[in-house]
Amino acid sequence: MDLLQRFALGEIDAFETLVRRFQGEIYAWAVRIVRDPGAAEDLTAETLWRIYRARHKFRPDGNFGAWARRIATNLALDYLRRARPEQSLDADSVGSPQPDRLVEREMREKIRQAFRRLPPKLQVAATLALVEEVPYDEIAAALGTSVGAVRVRVFRAVRILRSRLSQLGINPE
Amino acid sequence: MTMDEHNDRQIRDALKQSFPPATTELRRDLWPDILRRLDAHSVSVPWYDWVLVGLSGVAFLAFPRLVLVLAYHL
Repeated sequence: MDLLQRFALGEIDAFETLVRRFQGEIYAWAVRIVRDPGAAEDLTAETLWRIYRARHKFRPDGNFGAWARRIATNLALDYLRRARPEQSLDADSVGSPQPDRLVEREMREKIRQAFRRLPPKLQVAATLALVEEVPYDEIAAALGTSVGAVRVRVFRAVRILRSRLSQLGINPE
Repeated sequence: MTMDEHNDRQIRDALKQSFPPATTELRRDLWPDILRRLDAHSVSVPWYDWVLVGLSGVAFLAFPRLVLVLAYHL
């Protein structure tokens, strides 16, 4: 019997084989979204646990990797919603006269903060599309939405980010 | 290249500089954690099994002789 069929029937050995085969891939996906190795490890373990609990919903002729990525993406979204920074940004330090490298480092930190304050759905789409350069169709499949919707989210993320950075006196060049 | 595309490229470059590449290699095997969770997860009885038990109890109370019939067939 096929490995995925055995997994769907609840065989632990089959599940162990799948965990060993896919845990690295799920982790790599999660860490690219949340950008925190510890959190990504926890999300991977939680994803694998949810996969096991939802095994009866899995169609053995389906794509296990894509299914796992979708669950991991939803969990990563929940994580970003919980971890969303509340503090406001200030523009004080950006324009002050300091050595170039320090100014650059501060500017990057401001960009990171502004990015983390984006709505999680926009943040995930923009991280994967702009920073990780994942193809739009792959992002759409992981988010359970259309390519068009992903494009809209990335577009909105860029617009919001540009506006916030402009308020902080940062104009990326 | 349009002005919008140019602006988007600038944002993309700024983000790539601000977010260093993530280490995508998992540091440890997660199977032992999953196994622990599997062990800790108590065996849950589905709701329809409880309904079946309840119905059987009611049936045995209403028709006590059913117990004898069941015992005979066992």
